Amino acid sequence: MKRPFSKKPADAAADDALAGQAVVEMTRSEKLAKHKELAAHHGGEAGKDLAGWVDTRTNSTGIYTAMLSRKVPKGTNWFYTLGSSVMFIFAMQAITGVFLSMYYTPSATQAYASITHLTNEVFLGEFVRGLHKWGGSLMIILIFLHMARTFFFGAYKYPREMNWVIGVVLLILTMVMGLTGYLLPFDQRSFWATIVANNITASGPVVGPYLADFLRAGPDFSTTTLSRFYALHMLVVPGLMAALIGAHLFLVVKLGTTAPPWVRAARPEGARPVETVAAGVATADSEEVPVASAAPAEAEAPVEAEPVEAAPEEPAEGSGTDSGEEASS
Amino acid sequence: MNSREKEDYLREYEQLKKKGKPFFPYAIMKDSVMFCFVAAVLVIMSLVMGAEQGPKADPTTTTYTPRPEWYFFFLFELLRVIKPPALTPLATIGVPTICMVLLLLLPFYDRNAERIPWKRPIATTTAVLIIIAMAYLTYLGASSGSPTEIELETNPKYEQGKQITAQSGCLACHAIGENGAHGGLGPELTEIGSTLPRAAIKQSLIAGPGIMPSFEGLGKKDINAVADYLASLD
Repeated sequence: MKRPFSKKPADAAADDALAGQAVVEMTRSEKLAKHKELAAHHGGEAGKDLAGWVDTRTNSTGIYTAMLSRKVPKGTNWFYTLGSSVMFIFAMQAITGVFLSMYYTPSATQAYASITHLTNEVFLGEFVRGLHKWGGSLMIILIFLHMARTFFFGAYKYPREMNWVIGVVLLILTMVMGLTGYLLPFDQRSFWATIVANNITASGPVVGPYLADFLRAGPDFSTTTLSRFYALHMLVVPGLMAALIGAHLFLVVKLGTTAPPWVRAARPEGARPVETVAAGVATADSEEVPVASAAPAEAEAPVEAEPVEAAPEEPAEGSGTDSGEEASS
Repeated sequence: MNSREKEDYLREYEQLKKKGKPFFPYAIMKDSVMFCFVAAVLVIMSLVMGAEQGPKADPTTTTYTPRPEWYFFFLFELLRVIKPPALTPLATIGVPTICMVLLLLLPFYDRNAERIPWKRPIATTTAVLIIIAMAYLTYLGASSGSPTEIELETNPKYEQGKQITAQSGCLACHAIGENGAHGGLGPELTEIGSTLPRAAIKQSLIAGPGIMPSFEGLGKKDINAVADYLASLD
């Protein structure tokens, strides 16, 4: 068989091209046949094959397992939902923000009128604007609570220092969102508050005046200022935040969420007094009781508070897990 | 935190995790309940408080006293606490920057291996004090009321001067009756008419003594009205 690039006499170029095409077609069909053979070998049908195809290239089942079937440690309580609610609010802000951007005109002359139109005439306009406006406040509150939880539980300590740093950067970016978003309605309040914020920026050392000039985008507050704030508010800062939230979550999955610091695991292998107490209360799981009594170190472990705390919080869940785990193990 | 403490922590955490529950469905379930709660709160906030528009931005009014979003109130109040003008940059840039840097570097200077809040009294006390201070300053900022309104009763003759005074930003630094900056940068004006004659008040408005800016830009008529109003306060 003639190889396509083996020999190319100039006078027989057309012939050669035809031949080359034929060869390519042949190899293509050969490849297809080989592929079919391989697929048959794996015993895959179309749907399974697609899932397998995606999986071999992305390890999606591995990611899925790592994210969803990972374990959260014993003692996890409602305080651990604060971080994900911040993310939920961020998503809400993104969605409502997209809808607002469909009606908003970032121009000093038209911004105010476009918001009047949005508020008064567009279907559910004021509601969506309200969601976005108050969503910012709620996000600040939830971030504050999430940080307080992280601080008081000592969750910023080894090995999660990087996640604390990323979190503080996210806090700063959220405040930048509040500041840049404040100008956009372009009413008296937002206009003058932004001028004050800009003057404060200008009074900063070294980079202060340059940063203020950059934000103002000219000698006066004008359309260029507004469009600059708009771009920062809806493109630059949210993009950065989304990336950092991704990094934050990656580290959470990789390192695991903390347990409340007063929850202790240290006791001999096989003994599970705390969960036994919880299960005993909820389901009267009698076969676990003798195992628990074989825990001599129980006295020194500070677990007295745990069952009290866990029992009223999640009685249904507690019993559910225990029976589930028993069945699987 | 030395390497032995780090190993201890990781070992302890591994055990706790083994005894834990899978993220799906248990943590997801809690998160979803919380999402619903947060969404409900947000919808109620939006429906009850709405999104009213203020008056349109007007670059020619040089007298509007702006107020920041409520979560910046504590910084706003800090400005009033730190009075000397020379120290203003400290309040506006210095303190927030230092606070943010301290917050960012927290895991690197707090190297105590202990995590239980009541067993690390310094960290816990500091945090509680900071939270109380922020809450107090936010409360002060919120309760100083609208900066463009004076509730004090006046003779209708001076009503116009009162309006101009309220709209001209005087209350950012001065207090009049219940309104304005109590303990602000400038002296209280509630009884200014009994200590300063009208002429001296007018002179102050035009010259802007000390750190006070000149209000000459208001125009002769408005300055006279403001001076009349302030002189009537006694």
